[in-house]
Formats: sequence, C-alpha cells, structure tokens
Amino acid sequence: MDKITFKGGSLDEAIDGAAKVLGISKDEMGHRVLDEGKSAMLGIIGGKETEIEAWKKVPLDEEARDMMQEMLNKMHLLAVAEAKIGEQGEVLVEVKGEDLGQIIGKDGATLTSLQIVISTALSRRHACRVRVYVDAGGYKEKQAQAIERIANSAAKDVESTGEEKFLPPMSPAERRIVHMALRDNPNVTTHSEGEGKERRLVISPKK
Amino acid sequence: MKDLIEYIVKSLVDKPDEVNINEVLGETVTVVEISVADEDVGKVIGKEGRIANALRTIAKAAGAKDKIRVSVEILTKEDNHG
Repeated sequence: MDKITFKGGSLDEAIDGAAKVLGISKDEMGHRVLDEGKSAMLGIIGGKETEIEAWKKVPLDEEARDMMQEMLNKMHLLAVAEAKIGEQGEVLVEVKGEDLGQIIGKDGATLTSLQIVISTALSRRHACRVRVYVDAGGYKEKQAQAIERIANSAAKDVESTGEEKFLPPMSPAERRIVHMALRDNPNVTTHSEGEGKERRLVISPKK
Repeated sequence: MKDLIEYIVKSLVDKPDEVNINEVLGETVTVVEISVADEDVGKVIGKEGRIANALRTIAKAAGAKDKIRVSVEILTKEDNHG
C-alpha cells in the first residue's frame, strides 16, 4: 500500500490536498492523523499544520488476499490465495494449491494463526474490527460441518431427555459455530461456561 | 524467514520504520529476534500472547519445509538496555 504524508492548515484541508495529490476522490482515500497541529493564536502566530498519512483504499477482500499471498510466497509454499466478502461483511480467504498440509498445520493451527495476523492487520489499518476467515482446501469448512453435526445431535438428546448437556472444550470460533447452528432451534438454548481453554458450551432445554 | 516475520510484524505496528528483525542461524535452531517501538510491543504480543503465538506457529510452518526449528523472541526494553 503506497502511503503519502500531507500537511494542511486544518484536517479538512489536509484531506482535500492529499486526495488531490493521489488523484482520487475523498471517498476512495483512507487517512490517519499523524500530527493534529494547533490553530494559530489570533490567526497568526504559533499555528502548526495538521499532518496526515493518506492512501488509496483497496477493497478489503483484495487487501486480505494480497497479504495472504505475500505470506505464502515468503513461506516458500506453492499455493494461491483467493478472497471474497461474505454475507455478513466478513472476509473469506481460501488457499488452494500444493503444500496444503503445511498451511493447515496441526488441528488447523497454522490456518488459525494466519487468520489472526490478517484480521489484526486489517482491523488496525481500518480502525474497526474486520472479521477474517482463512481456509485451505475446504479444511475448516469440513470441520465446521462436523461441529454442526455434533451440535445438532446433542440438541436432539437435550430435547428428548430434558436435561442440559455439556460439549467438549472448544475454541471461540468453534463455539460460535454451535451457537449459530442452534440459534433458531425453538427447544434449546446455548451458553458457555468455564474460562480459557476449558470453556465449554452448554445446551439446555428451553423452559 | 526474516522476510516473512518482518512483513507480518510491519503490518501489525504503527511504526513500521522502527521494526528490526535479527535472524541468528544456529546449527539446529534459527532464532528470530523482533524489536519494535516501545508503544508497539503490546501489538506484537497481543492479548494473552495471542499474536506472539500466531507468529511462532507461522514461523514453525515456514521452517518445517526446510526442517529448520525456529524460535521467535520479542525483545522488550529491558532486553535492549540490559
């Protein structure tokens, strides 16, 4: 991402000026204030200009894909990254190619780590939470389907016995899958108990 | 390895110009030392070490192909001055 720095008498002036230099409209530009400046006393003395850093905004999916590809290349792995925006605004990154085992890692640990750094980098850059999901060869998708099956069969047990049921400890992302899978089930409710790695999801009958 | 870690760390911090990565090649293990601006240390470590652990896992995966063991260390102020 090419960035420029620009100074102006006020924030608005700095933004206008930077957009002009980049040759794009203000909507297409992202910016970050480096120095807020000071307004001049009596309009003449002691004033300091506002300095901003500005860049051309790139769609989130392209940004995520480029970062993923850059990491794959630097890891010397033979794989190609693709990305798109999902239904809820989340960024879905999919890796295809060889060396998938290495990209996935033990229990998907490498995928999760790549996901963490991409979402952290994008969230910081855009100053808002960007949800990113990274998958390779459909690994996480299959894992999610398996968790959904466990959730649904446990929910059936709860419905027939009327007793609550604890699922094994799961990561936040996995628990989220269970919550979503059972969200529309009229007979059960879900919540989590425990801390950290021991946090488990509980399915209870709805009273 | 240095390239990879440098790229990721620079994308996480506010002051990429102050990122320094030092790669120490040993016989059995490569040590990657990361130093960043004081105010960026927390960003590289993350809540409960989440980011630091992600960096270690990625470094491990990158080293696996060449059968290199990688150790990632984040230097703090005390390390630099002490």
